[in-house]
Amino acid sequence: MARDPKYDILFEPIQIGPKTMKNRFYQIPHCNGFGSEKPLNQAYFRAMKAEGGYAAVCTEYCSIHPESDDTHRVSARLWDDDDIKNLGLMCDMLHEHGALAAAELWYGGPHAPCMETRCVPRAPSQIPSDFEHLTYPKEMDKDDIREVQGFYVEAAKRAREAGFDIVYVYGSHSYLPQQFLTPYYNRRTDEYGGSFENRARFWRETIEQVKDAVGDDCAIAVRMSTDMFMGEAGTQLERDCLPFVELVDDIVDVWDINVSGISEWGEDATPSRFYPSGRLLPWQKAVKGVSKKPVLGVGRFTSPDLMVEAINDGALDIIATCRPSISDPWLPRKIDEGRLDDIRECIGCNICISRWEIGGPPLICTQNATAGEEYRRGWHPERFEQAANADNDVLIVGAGPAGMECARVLGERGMRRVHLVEGQDDMGGIMRWIPQFPGLGEWARVVNYRKIQIDKLKNVEFIPNTRLDAEGVKTYGAEIVIVATGGYWATDGLNGCTHDTIPGADASQSWCATPEQIMAEGKAVGDKVLIVDNDGYFTGVSLAEKLAEEGKQVTLMTHLGHIAPYMHFTLEAPNMHRKLHKLKVEIVTYQIPTQISEGGVTSAHVYDEEHLTEWAVDSVVLVTQRRSNEALYRELKDSVGIDALQSEGISGFYRIGDCVAPRLVADCIFDGHRLAREIDSDNPEVPLPFKRERHVIEREAVPA
Amino acid sequence: MKVLVAVKQVAILGDEVEFTEDDRDVDPDYLDYALNEWDSYATEEALRLVEAAGSGEVVVISVGDEDAEDSMRRCLAMGADRGIRVESVRTLDPIQVARALAEVVRSESPDLVFAGVQSSDSVQAATGGALAGLLDMPLVAVVTKIELGDGKATVNRELEGGLVDVVEVDTPAVITIQTGINEPRYATLRAIKQAEDKEIDVRQPGDLGPQAQRVRRMFVPPKGEGAEMLDGGAAEVAQRIKELVEEKMA
Repeated sequence: MARDPKYDILFEPIQIGPKTMKNRFYQIPHCNGFGSEKPLNQAYFRAMKAEGGYAAVCTEYCSIHPESDDTHRVSARLWDDDDIKNLGLMCDMLHEHGALAAAELWYGGPHAPCMETRCVPRAPSQIPSDFEHLTYPKEMDKDDIREVQGFYVEAAKRAREAGFDIVYVYGSHSYLPQQFLTPYYNRRTDEYGGSFENRARFWRETIEQVKDAVGDDCAIAVRMSTDMFMGEAGTQLERDCLPFVELVDDIVDVWDINVSGISEWGEDATPSRFYPSGRLLPWQKAVKGVSKKPVLGVGRFTSPDLMVEAINDGALDIIATCRPSISDPWLPRKIDEGRLDDIRECIGCNICISRWEIGGPPLICTQNATAGEEYRRGWHPERFEQAANADNDVLIVGAGPAGMECARVLGERGMRRVHLVEGQDDMGGIMRWIPQFPGLGEWARVVNYRKIQIDKLKNVEFIPNTRLDAEGVKTYGAEIVIVATGGYWATDGLNGCTHDTIPGADASQSWCATPEQIMAEGKAVGDKVLIVDNDGYFTGVSLAEKLAEEGKQVTLMTHLGHIAPYMHFTLEAPNMHRKLHKLKVEIVTYQIPTQISEGGVTSAHVYDEEHLTEWAVDSVVLVTQRRSNEALYRELKDSVGIDALQSEGISGFYRIGDCVAPRLVADCIFDGHRLAREIDSDNPEVPLPFKRERHVIEREAVPA
Repeated sequence: MKVLVAVKQVAILGDEVEFTEDDRDVDPDYLDYALNEWDSYATEEALRLVEAAGSGEVVVISVGDEDAEDSMRRCLAMGADRGIRVESVRTLDPIQVARALAEVVRSESPDLVFAGVQSSDSVQAATGGALAGLLDMPLVAVVTKIELGDGKATVNRELEGGLVDVVEVDTPAVITIQTGINEPRYATLRAIKQAEDKEIDVRQPGDLGPQAQRVRRMFVPPKGEGAEMLDGGAAEVAQRIKELVEEKMA
């Protein structure tokens, strides 16, 4: 199919400084866990987006000097010639696809704890980081300022040598240049602090120096946060940012505009729970109003109509995407080819970001199981090899996230017939009710994308309203059987704190419920509800929000020190706290119930078990732990037996997803995808080894 | 108890459509093929009647080329016992199809003949009626319930506005089956494999008579006037739709 002409504007070239972007699609700097030290993973990951039509692709934040070391988190680094070599591969691979390469030169100041290099970061003022606990910077004197500006210039030259076309002087997210601009960080009284002109001096001088050094060869990009949402202390659009744009517009080639500081950067990388796409457009439009240079920015754009609107409305010249480019690296190409219903839209869950916040692991994506697997497992999101055993028929029992993804990929791999059999009347499993939580509507894209794809695959048939028992599976006629029957919330209070059930907990009682009983089955709860949350992610807090919005008086009890600690990693925590606080949800930490009965709960403090508290409530909701729904699998394996299955012609018998062990939806989808990718390996049950990028020693080179 | 079910492999349009050079048909490159939706209900109903009777057979009959056997095999996988296909490589009008089917029906002497109310591609709802006429059998159309008696059947016909017409009809009769009369079963992989071995008897058509209708031209009608395109964001569009609905309802 051809591109719809209404999207033509997205495919018009645009000049940025000495370089030309072939279209308006730009992958904004974002982390992936690879940095400069897993260069093959890095290059293959970024190149997938260039192959998918992106005109420019950036590194993640790219440290200019060992003083800016974010360990435990993983940044790229341009410290020396070896880093040039490693990042050079990424540049070359991007260029092969006609894309520009951009390096986001970064100096973190106090937010970079330098846990590997053990350097001391420098900052405008000696105030410990509001993001990285216990990190104090050295306050810069004028020699320090000259020296650090020199770091930028040398790193820019290394970037040029590596092959980068665009070089950033990155300030957003409260990094050094923006620290100088912001009173919250800059309490100086010399010519680098105080007035706007003084606070802008460091950034202006640094841009000038980088421009002088590489500006003939590279476009100079500036990434600026235009509102930190912290009143007078933070950077402000009118007071600081628009004047700054006017001050340096002549020497900047492209503006990259966002909002927020680092400690609440979920205001920028917005979870869909709280913000829709295009949330930053007012700020971007304000900058575009005063700049003569192209303006780009993110907004979790997945809809080409919104992209066109952003350009036509004069808010943006270039559509930058971060999370949507992880979810679907072929986003531009699919728009170009008129394949809109093939776009795997980002759901805004921020599970990708959680991996950066955790520090270290490669990114993952709920929607795109191949993200980060381009090099190490050789997975391509859009290309699938015909399976060696494609003449087999496959039965998948259970159409939740894992089953759907497995069916989709097996269909793509050309299996003769894939039957996806589901007890309910539609696909989705737990993702039919999870998106019914407040704010999580976009999460339904997990189901919608797969439904559309499965519908297109002629060799995949969805069979609803059919609950197969072991006999039904055995005689179904498949050569490969995959059990994907999901999981359920424990009904007896079994939990990871006490590793035991909670006395009296029993969700078969009218006053006691599990999450799916409330969400999927409509079980009613009383006016005064106590939620026991030993899970720590979205389920407990989402139920608290939902029930409180319905007018219930809600107590949310956890044995942990925070409610929903994983939401700190997904950047949902601050606004979740605000919401629950506004809804008057009572939050109780470090408490575990010791007895639950109709009308009341007794709890103990986890560090003082003799300290008991009584709670009078009408209903108790158990968000204690999940269990695999493995009854069918066990019956087939233990009662029917593998031999009996084999004699029915079943040569492969596997299980995937929550049915193996309850986990993130992203991991369930990965599991289904992985099995399908390796369905023709010697033992599909065991994942094939992936390529590990590591330094392998040569014994003769080891120092004595 | 023998029920014959006339089924059709229908063409399904994708998002885009191109026509053949003579503008008389859709370019086959733009078509998918599947069992006509109504016919899966007809097959299911036949299977249920034969199962309830305890013995007998369900025979699916179709007119078409070898590709049409894909849809017949779906019915066989559901449980139909055998198939008879009347060979035809060219497009026939409904009367010609009915003539081809009538010959088969006469040779099989069934207790009942089912057809779908209509086919989803040509939407003429003519074949069942023509077949009854050619066989000189009673016809009951758009049926949503069947109760078998001795030499007769009591059936519900769906009328406009949710009305139901209960009719008693002598059998053998031709009954056209409406969707929703039942919940068609799915075929297991084993049943699909077994259906590959079931018999489909291929017969050559006799005299199908002159073509009673010919396609002169096929085209996408021009967009009509009077449509109001709603622009703006989702909230604005939703607001405008709300206003329009309220205007119409006032």
